[in-house]
Amino acid sequence: MSDDGNESRDSKNTETEEKSTPASPSHVAETKIDVLLKPAGDAPIMKKKKWAVDRNKRIGWVGEFIKKYLKLTAQDSLFLYVNQSFAPTPDTEIGSIFDCFGSDGKLVLHYCKTQAWG
Amino acid sequence: MGENREIQKGVWEGRIPVAFRLSEEDTDGERPEPVYLMVPRISYFPLHTEKINKHFLKYASEKESEEIWLEHDNQPLKWHYPVGLLFDLYGSETSLPWTITVHFKDFPEEELLHCVSKDAVESHFMSSIKEADSLKHRGQVINSMQKRDHKQLWTGLLHDKFDQFWSVNKKLMESSGDETFKYIPYRLYMVDRHYMTNLFRPLTEEGHHQSLKHLLLSAVPQFFNEDEEFQKHVRIHGTEPLLDTPILWLSENFSFPDNFLHLVISDK
Repeated sequence: MSDDGNESRDSKNTETEEKSTPASPSHVAETKIDVLLKPAGDAPIMKKKKWAVDRNKRIGWVGEFIKKYLKLTAQDSLFLYVNQSFAPTPDTEIGSIFDCFGSDGKLVLHYCKTQAWG
Repeated sequence: MGENREIQKGVWEGRIPVAFRLSEEDTDGERPEPVYLMVPRISYFPLHTEKINKHFLKYASEKESEEIWLEHDNQPLKWHYPVGLLFDLYGSETSLPWTITVHFKDFPEEELLHCVSKDAVESHFMSSIKEADSLKHRGQVINSMQKRDHKQLWTGLLHDKFDQFWSVNKKLMESSGDETFKYIPYRLYMVDRHYMTNLFRPLTEEGHHQSLKHLLLSAVPQFFNEDEEFQKHVRIHGTEPLLDTPILWLSENFSFPDNFLHLVISDK
């Protein structure tokens, strides 16, 4: 599982300690991370909020997944935000966002149908 | 400060000579002459290809798509990567001008994002700056800025105004005394894979400066030999910085305008 991700969040370890067991790409690709999806603005609530997502899945994939789940049309826009501040490009890997912005072993993403922040 | 300004200006003024050619598949008749441009390394292609788009559209065999996409040596080029990063990743100093093929047809949906207008570039650019500031200052500096400061960062880049950009950017790059960057916004690129990044502190707990080598040791230890010698090359803005360079200094002076260090790792 996402072992090296979980502990690095809030710990005060030095960088070398955090990185003492670097994961190889193949290992990384296998692990899943918990993604918590929260609505913003007038976006509908998802009944199931927490999902295990492969690290190598892209932000765009998550967006499409939410649209399908909420039965939105292809024409509907959907924006995904990290930290309620920035929107990663759709080709960004979930894993790399989690490594920098995950906390308590999960990544919180806010979704909305119009641009909410910035 | 003055010394660093010269370096920041040098980074800003980097240009790449590019020869844009219309792809063979996009024209039945006469293939137009290539168009030559000096493109700023720190900028993005859609901010420079408007005229090329219009010019080549006259020769395009089918007009159903007016959006162009770029390719070098069968490698589609992401418009949301800075030009200099794309060149360090796929181009070569030994073969200039950099030949880029302009396509209208067969948009590679799997590999590229659509760029509908310059607004898309602006959104991407501002989002990157916010992401970088989340890493450096928990987003506090960018969030305390006025809307017009945000706009000035963008227009500085758009209109190639170094002073305009840096008069705002310096607030994002300041670290005084104990108030240094929390983490370094960086991405490591290699051909044929997603970039790598992680949390990396510029100082150790004892307050020692971490170098570029420390960052590479933590991110890609597999590229070091037993004597801790780096077995690859790392490049940014077309140069190979010394591995002993303090990473904080590099972040403050060598970051792209989006506030990230985009570092390319290659075999040669």
